[in-house]
Amino acid sequence: MTKLEARGLVKSYGPTPALRDVTLDIDEGEIVAVTGPSGCGKSTLLHCLAGILRPDAGEVSWRGHRIDTWSEAARSRLRRTEFGVLFQFGQLVAELTAAENVALPLLLAGTGRRAARAAACDWLERLGVAEYADVRPGEMSGGQQQRCATARALVTEPRVLFADEPTGALDTVTGEQVLTQLVRLARQQRTAVVLITHEPRIAAYADREIVLRDGAIDHTGLGLDAPLSGGAR
Amino acid sequence: MSPGTLARLAMAGNRTDAARVTLTALSAALATLAGLAALTVLAIEKPPGDAWQHSEQYVNGLLREPGLRGGTAFALVLLTIPVLALAGQSARLGAPARDRRLAALRLAGATPGQVTRIAMLETGLASLAGALTGLAAYLVGRNLLHRPDANGQLALPTDVLPWMPAMAAVVLGLPLVAAVATSVMLRRVTTTPLGVFRRAGRTGSPRPWPGLLIGLGVLAAAMVEPIQWALKGARVDWLGIVILIGIFAAVMGVILGTGWISYLAGRVLHRHAPSPAALLAARRLTDDPWASSRTFAALLAAVIIGAGATAFRASFLLMAQIEREESRAAGYGDDAGPLNSFYLTTMDLVDLAVAVALTIAAAGLLVTLVEGIVSRRRGYAVLVANGVPRATIGASILWQVLAPVVPAVLVALGVGYTIGRLFSGGTGRDGRTPGVPVEQLALLGAGAVVAVLITVGLGVLFLRGNTAVEELRAT
Repeated sequence: MTKLEARGLVKSYGPTPALRDVTLDIDEGEIVAVTGPSGCGKSTLLHCLAGILRPDAGEVSWRGHRIDTWSEAARSRLRRTEFGVLFQFGQLVAELTAAENVALPLLLAGTGRRAARAAACDWLERLGVAEYADVRPGEMSGGQQQRCATARALVTEPRVLFADEPTGALDTVTGEQVLTQLVRLARQQRTAVVLITHEPRIAAYADREIVLRDGAIDHTGLGLDAPLSGGAR
Repeated sequence: MSPGTLARLAMAGNRTDAARVTLTALSAALATLAGLAALTVLAIEKPPGDAWQHSEQYVNGLLREPGLRGGTAFALVLLTIPVLALAGQSARLGAPARDRRLAALRLAGATPGQVTRIAMLETGLASLAGALTGLAAYLVGRNLLHRPDANGQLALPTDVLPWMPAMAAVVLGLPLVAAVATSVMLRRVTTTPLGVFRRAGRTGSPRPWPGLLIGLGVLAAAMVEPIQWALKGARVDWLGIVILIGIFAAVMGVILGTGWISYLAGRVLHRHAPSPAALLAARRLTDDPWASSRTFAALLAAVIIGAGATAFRASFLLMAQIEREESRAAGYGDDAGPLNSFYLTTMDLVDLAVAVALTIAAAGLLVTLVEGIVSRRRGYAVLVANGVPRATIGASILWQVLAPVVPAVLVALGVGYTIGRLFSGGTGRDGRTPGVPVEQLALLGAGAVVAVLITVGLGVLFLRGNTAVEELRAT
């Protein structure tokens, strides 16, 4: 079943075109890698699909409803409940502990503090960083922080996870560990993942690869090359 | 490095740096004006005759009476406190960008000393420009306002000019002090080619020991009357010294105590946080409780002085009432006497000065708030991208400000009023005591909190721009 659809997306920053007539569908539980050279419009596409940016033209639909016409408040609610967003770095609130950071989306959704903390600790355990529950981000390594951010993105069990270069700031081994866990957990709960990357090795975790060039889809294909660590699929 | 290169590098920077330089210059200009005004008041020559001989060329009693001019000059110097606090808060504006610029200079080969000199020069030159602007405004204003009325009296002392070396000391001393203060602030900072690192400052939980300073201030106020009697005729003005020490101790006690209040408010809020916004605020308060001390210092000092002034006003009003009653009893009608109306007019001026100080303090708070939002903009942008409503972030800022400021203002009101009451003697001629001016104190407290609320409202306007999606691309 098609969940997320984009039709004829166009987006420019002043005179500079970022997206040119991009059309794509993402199915439930599908892992899609969006690749391409720097400046080709990958992040802009992710921001449009996640409802962070409104396209200049075209449509973005979620389960048959156009979301690009929704108010910012409605799109924020959608991102809080059905979508999850993961970035390269700088995502955790420095003053909150890891557990509080992960619990934040649940607290915003109205979950009680005790239940939110329990869920947060559970997710931290699934990602192998349970012992850092009461530690602040500043006292954690980059990989541990990214696992916490992944836990925060998945704690609401979103239907789509948007990940913008999620391992870009990590070393190869740590990056692969984080990505392996992310993909495993996404598959377990049938969360679709839109993975922005410029590394073919990372794109190989995906079911499908969309290659952008100069703001338009150059070609699509299957994520054929299995990653070295293997265990993601 | 040649002085020209040093100056060129000191004045380099982006729009935020320009805003910091402008605010520093503006603060220096205001402080210079206040300093020169104080010097001018002190420069008024005492007319020949006894101590009660007035300078009749002025309309205002504060300038006419030689005995009051010292206090007026002191009040003008006190006005520089919120102005200098504004300058201190402005110094934090655009700090991350400046840090990156200084690190880039180190990477290009500048020594740590050269980088410190560049930072000092930036502040020093901005302050010098401001001080010269202040001097120009003073000289121009002096000419424009020199308009004697029909009786030949002047509203301001535009007929006297302070001693030139004293004026030079203010105009040149201020930039020098600003540059030295920058150097002192950079003591804890190490600028390396890879970035700027700050050595940890005060760590650990704040303790309520500033209460001792408040106690010292109250004790000094309580000692005024005994000292006045015991040391009558002494050559040293011990009374003035005790009053100064008392006010200073109480103000510092409240300001430093705000760190403890902030920490306590953060802990209480964390335990009972009703929302994610409150949780965010609680963690920030317990993380850096001294930030509230720094941010609200000028505001709290103004509230203490204002609360003290309400105690004096209540005392003067009681005296006026007693005089009226005595006048009525003696069959002279309702005349309250010129002395009390003069004192009450003086209190109006003090209230005006407090209002000006609160406004300047609120401006300083705005600078700090905006800087806080700008420095956290990437984190905020990520939260918004994750669906956190901007209203939640705005509410967290509001919690963070209100949770410590409300109790701190209440403490400041209590301390200021108590000290004012003790200084003003507390009882009338017939043993009556003035009632607590609850309405005026409430108005002052509410005024301070409303000023803070308006400032937060203005600061939160910057949230939208600083949580824009473009911030997600910044590295």
